[in-house]
Amino acid sequence: MEESNSRTPPLPWWAAGILLGLVQVLAVALVNPMGVSEPFVVADAKVLNRVAPEYSENHPLLSDEQYKKFGYSGWFNIGIVLGACLAALHLRAWKVRTVSAWWKQNHDAPALLRLIAGFCGGVLILLGARLAHGCITGQFISGWTQLSLSAIPFTITLFGFGMLVAYLVYPKAPNRFRREE
Amino acid sequence: MSTPIVGLIMGVIFGASLVLTGLTNPDKIIAALRLKDFYAIRTVAVFLLVGMLGTWILDLFGAANFDIKPAVILTVLIGGALLGIGLGLTGFGPATGLASAASGRIDALVTVIGMIFGTHVYILIYPSVVVPLERILNLGNVTLPQITGASAAFWVVPIFAAGSLVLFITRSREPRDDEQRIKAGNSGINEAFLDRPILIPEETGSLLRSDCLKAAYVFRRWKNLLFLVMLLCLLLVQGSFWLVSTGQVEIAENTNPGTTVVPGADIMQAGQAAVPAEESPSPWLFGFDVTFERLTSIVRIANNLLVLASVLYALIMYFGLGVSFKGGLGGLAHICGALYMALIIFVLLLPWQNFFGPIAMGATYTLNELARWCTTDISDMFGMVLFYLRFTGYWALVMLLLLLAQLRSFRWARAILR
Repeated sequence: MEESNSRTPPLPWWAAGILLGLVQVLAVALVNPMGVSEPFVVADAKVLNRVAPEYSENHPLLSDEQYKKFGYSGWFNIGIVLGACLAALHLRAWKVRTVSAWWKQNHDAPALLRLIAGFCGGVLILLGARLAHGCITGQFISGWTQLSLSAIPFTITLFGFGMLVAYLVYPKAPNRFRREE
Repeated sequence: MSTPIVGLIMGVIFGASLVLTGLTNPDKIIAALRLKDFYAIRTVAVFLLVGMLGTWILDLFGAANFDIKPAVILTVLIGGALLGIGLGLTGFGPATGLASAASGRIDALVTVIGMIFGTHVYILIYPSVVVPLERILNLGNVTLPQITGASAAFWVVPIFAAGSLVLFITRSREPRDDEQRIKAGNSGINEAFLDRPILIPEETGSLLRSDCLKAAYVFRRWKNLLFLVMLLCLLLVQGSFWLVSTGQVEIAENTNPGTTVVPGADIMQAGQAAVPAEESPSPWLFGFDVTFERLTSIVRIANNLLVLASVLYALIMYFGLGVSFKGGLGGLAHICGALYMALIIFVLLLPWQNFFGPIAMGATYTLNELARWCTTDISDMFGMVLFYLRFTGYWALVMLLLLLAQLRSFRWARAILR
């Protein structure tokens, strides 16, 4: 299922790119360029404000007004979950899966390892995203869209390390990529 | 509309597009990072280019909302590295992780839980680690146009043009089977492809044929490139015609090479020419004001390029005809038609007026000629019709022929490559 799913992308690349680009343009026109990682901090700040009000009063980040309101970008994230769910249901692609084709090809270990790797990866993803003031959407895509200087160093390390780690973790390509080598 | 609702709607659209484009699939991302499948890379590249162009256009109308992130080089480098490690490990980004979890992937769900922990780690280390780090190499919220002092157009237009050109040239040569067919032809008989009808038993015949097919690939690629060049030039020339004829760009009389103005010799004329040049900046076009002189040189370059490209276009058609004849590839009727049209385009594009004066005209025109037409009185009906027939009708004819030629040769390519 996974292989057949990834072999036929729902849209050709140019149509897919234009669709995503137009979404970005719409976002720029309406409110702000898209960004995904900030609401995580806002949500966590909300919890911490409730749990440990004293700690967050003195915290330079949590006391910042910017991280106190769960506005546009928070609802944006909720929308992503909703929209993705709807689209997957529409494409009849909603299916419970734990491993990907590349993982299966490279690791015989049980799916638990994939979940552990996913968790560690998730920690690194958000930590990195906040250190860089934006995730792939917020810093890479929106950064280039607005031609901001910070997008250049971000792009270099993002893809440098991404390719390196992908090479180390997934050395073997699944069968359908073999023939083309 | 209140912002939460806008955010929710935008999120729904973005999440749905992520699933529709297949970027939520971690296999696609890993395959892209391992450089095995370029679908995700190309999609994201188009995403960037369209977003960049759209934002720039919005900005020209003053309708763009910017949110420039601070360029703290050190933390951005570290953050990019960590995010890259996470991306390479899982195949998810923050947005695609959320969307992927919503479409039923347990590993994505766990990654999202990891992200929440990552946020917590970030908040915990913020006072002691991040604040000191952010003091190093903080360049502030700057953009590339700001630090280079150039206009945004200077960045957007070349990046967009180069990016789309690269994407166009490197696009996948549609049916993957063709290449395999060529490979099979080259290595004699490959059992895997024996059932394909294109393989003929004689080794020499199949070798020649596969060679011709390869050549046809090359020709097709160059033909498409030349077509694009011609299309661009034609649009440029016509666009400049409309700019001039609707009065967006004032006609400067002294650009006529026949009357070279010696500085100070004719004060009246120089003054007249200088005043409209100052009054007619069109800053909306490319960030720099379009003056008549600049437009003239642009059109001159475009004209030369057009003639050159049309020669090459016809030549490539001719060679394509030869190749498909020699290799017995078929599609001869299509390529013959395309060749004739390419030749007609070439003949029409030649600047005949330079050789024969006003009795014969080519479809290309210099702006001086246009200026002559514009300044003479064309108030009567016949004059108007003639004017538009000469500058737009003639152009439209060439455009139509070009499109037809491209269509015919496209059919040729499809016929032989099938």
